[in-house]
Formats: sequence, structure tokens, C-alpha cells
Amino acid sequence: MDSQKNLKFTKDHEWVDANGTTGTIGVTAYAIEQLGDIVHIDLPEAGKTYKTGESFGTIESTKTVSDLYMPVAGKITAVNAAVKKSPESLQTDAYKNGWLVKIEISNPNEVAALLDAKGYDSFIKE
Amino acid sequence: MNPEKPLKTPLYEAHVARKARMVPFGGWLMPVSYESVLVEHKTVRETCGIFDVSHMGEVRVKGQDAEKFLQSITINDLTRLQTGGGQYTAMLNERGGMIDDLIVYKLGADEFFICMNAGNRTKDFSWIESSCKKSNLNVTVTNESDVWAQIAVQGPNSTPVTASLLSPKEAELLRALPYTNIMPVTLYGKPALVARTGYTGEHGYEIYLPVSLAEKTWMALLELSGEHGVRPIGLGARDTLRLEAGYLLYGNDMNDDVSPLEAGIAWATKIDKGPFIGRDALIAQKTKGLSRRMVMFKMLDEGIPRHGMAVFAGGSSAGEVTSGGVFPTVGGAGGMALVSSSLKEGDEFYVDIRGTQKRAKIVKRPIYSAKTK
Repeated sequence: MDSQKNLKFTKDHEWVDANGTTGTIGVTAYAIEQLGDIVHIDLPEAGKTYKTGESFGTIESTKTVSDLYMPVAGKITAVNAAVKKSPESLQTDAYKNGWLVKIEISNPNEVAALLDAKGYDSFIKE
Repeated sequence: MNPEKPLKTPLYEAHVARKARMVPFGGWLMPVSYESVLVEHKTVRETCGIFDVSHMGEVRVKGQDAEKFLQSITINDLTRLQTGGGQYTAMLNERGGMIDDLIVYKLGADEFFICMNAGNRTKDFSWIESSCKKSNLNVTVTNESDVWAQIAVQGPNSTPVTASLLSPKEAELLRALPYTNIMPVTLYGKPALVARTGYTGEHGYEIYLPVSLAEKTWMALLELSGEHGVRPIGLGARDTLRLEAGYLLYGNDMNDDVSPLEAGIAWATKIDKGPFIGRDALIAQKTKGLSRRMVMFKMLDEGIPRHGMAVFAGGSSAGEVTSGGVFPTVGGAGGMALVSSSLKEGDEFYVDIRGTQKRAKIVKRPIYSAKTK
């Protein structure tokens, strides 16, 4: 988890890399591992706005489908087309090239309320 | 079935030791995958996979009237079987709905062996037992579900893999065993059965063996990982394999309200063989014409269909998806759906995937040509 120490996390297993009003969102390696083979990912188009906790897409493994939730409110500015095309790549890289969307964060203060790497680590060990 | 405390097969410890992901299925704790559903799927198509299917149920039907009795409660024609033969069949209720789909093997002139679905073990046996009492025929039925473990060996290499457990004489008979047939063998000194059947669309076998030999046999098969590429396969890949091969899954694709004609297994339904439970309902259905039937479909739009999703055609409701998922070997996604019988092969319809209508097309079932024969 060392490379993830600057990220923030939700209990729904999303991560966000926030820098002021710019944010990058993905799903944690732990969640990907739990899901198994990722076969499909549904992501929104750039320009859409979401509230905190709102579903912005779905991630699907061979057996189940899970919603992707916005860690913080914001507007989608970019979507990772490579991951959409090859969702299985998330299984080997959930952080670096495995980002899902980039957003313009509506309220940067929301970020502080998320879990830090240590907090997320202990959460998944519960 | 005990929904509160899932049952464990004799191989439970072996699965846990191998770090399988265990899930409840049909009242049992079963391995859903050991490493990856897609890798396991590929293993079965290309080399050889072994499955713990000990949760399946077995019933022995014996006696002078055994054949007559089974003819009266199943849809296929048992008189077509010779000793050692097996056939896919089903038991129906009076309404023509499926109680379960089964494989019946003829072990002798007066002796049959039935393999039934895990989740239906109790229901099936009660039905068989009560039908037997009502019939006044000279038959004994024995529930042997707790006596037998079952290991399926599936894939192109399954003959040498299965033969490795047998004597040279038995191995020779195994190589000559026709599809759907069964033969008695001796495993580690004890009687067992090997059938050339499966649920994957690949050539393979299903071994019925005493519970006490399950772990020893499982480990012996896994030893062949190098030479024959043997790997353990979980229920996840079992589902994608059977889906591509167009095999039905009880509880998903059919239930007490779906007839074998609707389910697309008319080929196993021998209405002309004489009376059997549910026959009148099937005749009525045939006369009236089927209102719905099972089709195989492939998604044209992106998205993965799942059990229970609604199907629309021409702007109105046209049925529902009974099984869905990805097709790892043939590519894309799709499944089976019980739809209005006005829809034909080549027609397009829409699947409602979480509120969005996605385009799909009816294809030939199965989408993957079985290599069982």
C-alpha cells in the first residue's frame, strides 16, 4: 500500500487522488481482488456532475456487478478509455494506469472526511 | 437442504487449503473459483479441469418394476437404454412444470442410478418416494446422496487423466465408453462408477466414488497438473462453461413453472412413449401452441445480461433473461432467455440492463459447439 499513501479512500472501496479541485478516482486493488475477473466497466461521459455517494458507473466481474460511487461531489472531466476497453487491466494495476475518471471537485473540504491509507487498511481487515 | 447451516462436501478442507473462494450454493459451501474464472474456463476448454460436484444427489431405483416406475415419472424413454447407458431427462409435476432435470443410468435390467441437482435433493427424493408408494409397484428407492462423492473431469485431456485412476483393463474400457454411458470401476479397492457425461461442453467424465476416497482421488488428479494441465475448477467457470454450451441450470433457467417444451428440451421429451406425470399438460401445451420458449442470445450492445433482467421487443415486454454472463471462449456476452415464441433465431430484442435498453440478437443454441461426442 506504500504507493497509495497519499490517496484517500471510501468504505465502498473507491480511491481518490485529490489536488485542490482536481481529483482522480479509481477502485482499490483490494476490491478488484474481491470481485475476481473484471469483464466490464460502465463509465459516464465527461461533463456529467454527481453528488457525493452517487453512483457514476458500474464495475462487473464474471459473477457480480457493483456500483461505483463518487467519493466526493464533482464534475467528470476525463474518462479512462483504456480501462473501459480492457477492464481486466485493473487486476494488475488498480492505481497508476487503473484510474477511472478525473473530476473537478465541487468542494475540496469533502476530501478530508475520507479515510487515509492507514484507515482504509484497518477497515478492510475488520 | 438446510439454508441456515450450509453443508460441506468431503473436499471442503482441500478447497480451503488451496485458498478457493467459498460461496453458498444450493445449501452447500462450494468453491466459486480457485484463481480466476476466466483462467479456469480456458483450462477446461484447452487441457483438463476437475470439479468437486459432490453436492449433487444420487438415488438408486431397484426392483422388478424399476423401469416401469421410472417411465411413469420421467419424460425421456428409458426403454431405449441398454445396460450401461444413460440419458438426460426430467421429472414433471402434473402441470408439466419441471421438478428437476436429471441423468438416469441403467445399471442392470432392474437397476437404475439417478443423478439430481444439489438444491433439489430433498424435494426430488420425496417426490420419487411418494410416487413409488402410490404406484404399488415392486420397486425400492434409496437415497444414496450421502454415500457418494462426485468429481467431474472435463477437457480434452480427460481420458488419460481419468484412466490414471484405473487398472489397464478398465482404462481400455474407458477409452471405448460411448457418450452418456456409465461403467463400474474399482477405485483403491472400492466400487465406484465412471460416466462419460459433463456440464461443460467438453469431452469428459463424472466419477461417482465413496466419500472416504474423495480427498485421496482429488489429490491424485491434481498431481497430473504438469503432464496433463489438470487444475481445480470452481462453480464460476462451471457456469460460464455450461452457459456457452447451452445447458440449462435448474433454478435459473427453469423451475416448477417451466415445461421441458418451453425450456427447449423437446428432444428429451418422448410424449409418445406412454403415460407419465405431466404428459397431459404437455399435450395440452403442444395443442395450444407454446407461448414462450428458451432462446440463446448474444449482446450486440455493450453490457452483461443477468438472470431476471426484462426482455423487450417491439416496444413491449417479451420475457426475461434466465441466465446471463460473458462467453469467455466465443467472446462477448449473452445468455439464455425465456421469451415470446414469436421471436425467432436472428431476431433482435432489448435487454433492460439496470434501466438502459441494450440490443441483443437470438443465436443458435448452443453458441459453443460441444465437443462431448
